[in-house]
Amino acid sequence: MNAFLSWSILLAPITAAVLIGLFTKQNSKLSSKLSIGAIGFSFLMTLLLAAVNSGTPEIPVTSSVTWLEVGGLKVELGMIIDPLSMMMLLVVTGVGTAIHIFSLGYMKDDPSLGRYFGFLSLFTFSMLGIVLASNFFQMFIFWELVGVSSYLLIGFWFERKPAAAACQKAFIVNRLGDFGFLIGIILIWSITGSLDFGEISGAFTENPALLGASTAIAGLLIFCGVLGKSAQFPLHVWLPDAMEGPTPVSALIHAATMVAAGVYLLCRTLFLFELPTSWPEDFAWLNGVSSLHIVALIGAITSIMAALIATRQDDIKRILAYSTLSQLGYMVMAVGLGGAAAGMFHLTTHAFFKALLFLGAGSVIYAAHHEQDIWKLGGLRKKMPVTFWTFLIGTLALCGAPPFSGFYSKEEVLLAAYQSNVVLFVLAAITAVLTTFYMFRLVFVAFGGSAKSESADHAHESPSVMTTPLVFLAVLSVVGGWLGIGGYFGHFFDHGAVHHGHHENQTVVMFIGIGAIIFGFFPAFFMYHGAESDPLKKGLGGIGEFLKNRMLIDEAYQWFISRTHEALARLADWIDRWILAGFLVKGIQFTGEFTGRALRLAQTGNTQTYALLFGLGLAVALFVILL
Amino acid sequence: MIQFEHYLIVSALLFCIGLLGVLTRKNLLVLYMSLELMLNAANLALVAASRFHDNLNGQIMVFFIITVAAAEVSVGLALIVALFRRRQTTNVQDLSELKL
Amino acid sequence: MSVLTTIIMLPLIGALTLLFVPSRHKTVVRMIACSVTFLSMLLAALTFFEFNASDGAGYRNEQITPWVESLGIQYHVGVDGINIALMLMAAVVGYSATLVAKSITTRSKEFHVLLLIMIGGVLGAFASLDLFFFYFFHELALIPTFIMIGFWGRGENRNYITFKVTLYLSLGALIALVGLVMLYVKAGAGSFDIVEITKAVQANPISLADQNMIFPLLLFGFGILVSLWPFHTWAPMGYGAAPTATAMVHAGALKKFGLYGLIRIALPILPDAAAYWAHIIAWLCLGNLLYCGWVAMRQKNLNLVIGNSSVAHMGFVFLGISSLSLIGVTGAITVMVAHGFLAALTFGLTGYLADRGKSLELDQMGGILKSMPAIGSFLVLALMAGCGLPGFANFVGEAMVLFGSWSSFSMITIFGVWAGLVIGAVYMLRALRRALHGPLASNYEGVADASGIGAKAPYLILIVFLTLFGVFPRMLTDKISPAVESSLDLMKSTTSLTVAEKLNTDSADQTSEAPLAAESNSRGNLAESPQLESTQG
Repeated sequence: MNAFLSWSILLAPITAAVLIGLFTKQNSKLSSKLSIGAIGFSFLMTLLLAAVNSGTPEIPVTSSVTWLEVGGLKVELGMIIDPLSMMMLLVVTGVGTAIHIFSLGYMKDDPSLGRYFGFLSLFTFSMLGIVLASNFFQMFIFWELVGVSSYLLIGFWFERKPAAAACQKAFIVNRLGDFGFLIGIILIWSITGSLDFGEISGAFTENPALLGASTAIAGLLIFCGVLGKSAQFPLHVWLPDAMEGPTPVSALIHAATMVAAGVYLLCRTLFLFELPTSWPEDFAWLNGVSSLHIVALIGAITSIMAALIATRQDDIKRILAYSTLSQLGYMVMAVGLGGAAAGMFHLTTHAFFKALLFLGAGSVIYAAHHEQDIWKLGGLRKKMPVTFWTFLIGTLALCGAPPFSGFYSKEEVLLAAYQSNVVLFVLAAITAVLTTFYMFRLVFVAFGGSAKSESADHAHESPSVMTTPLVFLAVLSVVGGWLGIGGYFGHFFDHGAVHHGHHENQTVVMFIGIGAIIFGFFPAFFMYHGAESDPLKKGLGGIGEFLKNRMLIDEAYQWFISRTHEALARLADWIDRWILAGFLVKGIQFTGEFTGRALRLAQTGNTQTYALLFGLGLAVALFVILL
Repeated sequence: MIQFEHYLIVSALLFCIGLLGVLTRKNLLVLYMSLELMLNAANLALVAASRFHDNLNGQIMVFFIITVAAAEVSVGLALIVALFRRRQTTNVQDLSELKL
Repeated sequence: MSVLTTIIMLPLIGALTLLFVPSRHKTVVRMIACSVTFLSMLLAALTFFEFNASDGAGYRNEQITPWVESLGIQYHVGVDGINIALMLMAAVVGYSATLVAKSITTRSKEFHVLLLIMIGGVLGAFASLDLFFFYFFHELALIPTFIMIGFWGRGENRNYITFKVTLYLSLGALIALVGLVMLYVKAGAGSFDIVEITKAVQANPISLADQNMIFPLLLFGFGILVSLWPFHTWAPMGYGAAPTATAMVHAGALKKFGLYGLIRIALPILPDAAAYWAHIIAWLCLGNLLYCGWVAMRQKNLNLVIGNSSVAHMGFVFLGISSLSLIGVTGAITVMVAHGFLAALTFGLTGYLADRGKSLELDQMGGILKSMPAIGSFLVLALMAGCGLPGFANFVGEAMVLFGSWSSFSMITIFGVWAGLVIGAVYMLRALRRALHGPLASNYEGVADASGIGAKAPYLILIVFLTLFGVFPRMLTDKISPAVESSLDLMKSTTSLTVAEKLNTDSADQTSEAPLAAESNSRGNLAESPQLESTQG
């Protein structure tokens, strides 16, 4: 029963994708029905699966078929159903269904709607594959598939140059992360001889020092995959550019699911990070630093950096993208500090409210005829009430205002930080202030005041096919914190660090959290309420420009890559052209030709001369051999 | 008594006449006849050897050669005729197209 | 008569039949050519799917017909898991290429005759278990290639490229021939039969010095044929200039001959030398993986990008072979099969554009995906498969190669992962973006898409097999790995000592027999003794 349910959850979207790709691509209506039907089916099956397993949530249910077996390399396609994957399944299929339906309205006029829904289904399949994966290899397969379906969706409007550039960037940056990920997998496999999560963690329980000196390295290599997919510093550069894709795609992939895959992987392979750390001799100076410390540090850097950049962005989607980065940094930091349950909890609630915010942004963009600059919007509060109120709910949830879902999950993340590392806690608190600041800046400028352009002036509320998913997600964003998701994860990671006993800590953290909201809200209110242009532009000067240009990280990459790979490519091409193909080959050719020209003199063209020479040669040969 | 050597000497003489013909004559038809002479010189040597060594292989070989030579003559003559039609000459010195 | 003989002979008989068809009956020519290659493909597919790996590791469908008994040459065909997969690939590529050959308009009959001979030759080379026929069939396929590039090729410096390709490939084949003849002599089995030679060598291994002389000949001879770095420069140019169908059969199927030869002949018969040279192969393959990847990044012509990437992919095969491990070699063969389909697909698609007189210069391309959805999507699939996307057979093969080679060459494997995941993605996506994305280039206005199942069929067949083996890799690997295992077992049983030990004992016994001195030693042998030579000098 479990096996059947989980396989049908996984296979429904790919069936839809294949059917659309082969037969119904031209027929938008049928394609969208197939795709929405498939994810709806998966959602129902997930609910059923959850109901069936509600009594015994701790026992992982697995089922597998052998996909590849050669010598010591055995790869299975398996299914893991445990609380971790169960909740992710619910998020992916639930939020996914809402976004699929929203797309129906948002993409209504696109001529390639069939292709769009085909890609969406392909993405859903890949994402579900990651969630259900029972081993490293399967994880990697679906990891790559998620990468490519994200590539296809970001580049959906490929005839636009920025979209074509953005999808390429996303794919290649993800590949950089996968590079480490794959090496990590091979390394772990070569030592443990297995790829299965269960078997490997079992082997570690028996012998924690199994990986020897490469323990920390292996963990960090796997973490490279997380860096790519969850867009952590320094591989975060693809996510803001990925906003070139259709907005529902940004909601699905770049807010709720794909970027969460990294955090999910981190939790799934937590057994690897919890091993006693040891470094190879060359890295002995790192002794005492565990791989989890590095994970937490990267998470904190990402969260504060992205929050800083977000304060100086003007594109509604880019603000949300940087906010996503910042929140992902939170989750990674929480996992790194031992609060895996807090991280997963925040992932879940974040999926709700960030998908809501993106869809809300989509609704705005749709109404304002694809105007994304917040300084050209404005006054939408009255014109689009449903969008405004749901967006506000999303904002409050994101800022962590009580009693919205974000409040509970963010508090757990902050608590995890407070209990283990004060420096990181301070960073996280500053991030929380900044989060409130830039989100209310967005709300005041885009929704408040008066319309700042014609397209904003003519905006009106989106159709119900778009507002219904908004309301659905808004409800989830409100109640998400009360459903006991946190406790659910806390129970699963029973060795995790969420101890609800520390009431004192909890109270301190709660006050700091609420204080952060207040510190963020009032500056935003005074600066941006009714503002017509950005006062920060002059106020911050050079720093502002620096932030606006995304801390020049893209430029640094550009510089670095053009200095290394481009240069090597030039060199190799030059050698190929002039040394191998030119000098050597031409040289041989020249020698041959020269010899040929010399010998040509012996050719009279007269057959009889040849015959005479032939006869003489024969005579000489006979003379030598016979005498 | 005629010995094996005598046959060989006749065969060698025939061969040399043929070779000289091939090397010195200018007319393709004559050249061709000289070639046939060389071929038959070899045949003579083979038949003689076969006779004196009591081994039939040589005679069989000669049959093969005669058959092949017949085919060769027909092809060769056809080529010469075709060449004459095209170039109006059978003089080998006029045919030096192989030179680059 | 074995079914394999039928598979090989069908295209050859087809070629023979075509000679008697007047060239004005173009449809009849097409029909005959397509039907023989189709039948051949059908039979190959049947044989492949009937092949049951659990029956043991030996050869199936064998046929032995003596030919020149005094030299030990016999017509011997037979398949195990390794070459049945390659034969299936070659037959499918052959059929697809014959379908694509429709675009040939001048002297179409002659083209089809040559193409069929080429296909028959490739199939024969993969099926042969006799060194003589193995080589003969390869030459049979190779010579039409030169003629086809020279006569039907495209581009201005076609003549130069034809010369270059001919010289390179003839040289490679020649070096390999010397190696094979030497192998025949040194094995002392008095037979060209690979099975016989293997048996003889097991009882009485070839001396290390001889092995170390023969192996490089085979490695570099076959290596030139497979465009091993730095002998690769003929490949991208050659494929750019070759007519579409020729490029498909050559890049897809014929090129794998050299790799197949290394795996089938060099590894089990020359095990010590193989172990000794494995390091060199591994380092050279970096040249393919990284260097050719970089070169591909810089190309301005779509065909050259693909040509260089095809060379780069060969690096994975060499890496897999050099690992000498079950996983690595199985992966190498999987890459060979997958790359066969893929190379045929990419060259078929670029050929589709080039045959319509359009430039493949990347800066004159753009927006094709919008104006030609079918060809564009196929090209996207092909380029994605080329950068190792799961779901295509290439991914399975490349992953197995990387897993297999880790324990022998960790450092090189890391570079391999980098090349496969990052460099591959960079040049493939760069080409994809320039050619397919963006606004439609003026050059490509009004170019018709492939419409109807007939025009799409050649590409669809290849994609179907590429994904079939990508999604269900066991269809391939379960057949290949037992054969590889038995081949590696042979290798292990033939070599009684490890290489290092052997090197030591040899140098202790007779210093002049050390492997690196082998060449000078052999020259000494020819002149009876070194002293004699020196006194003469």
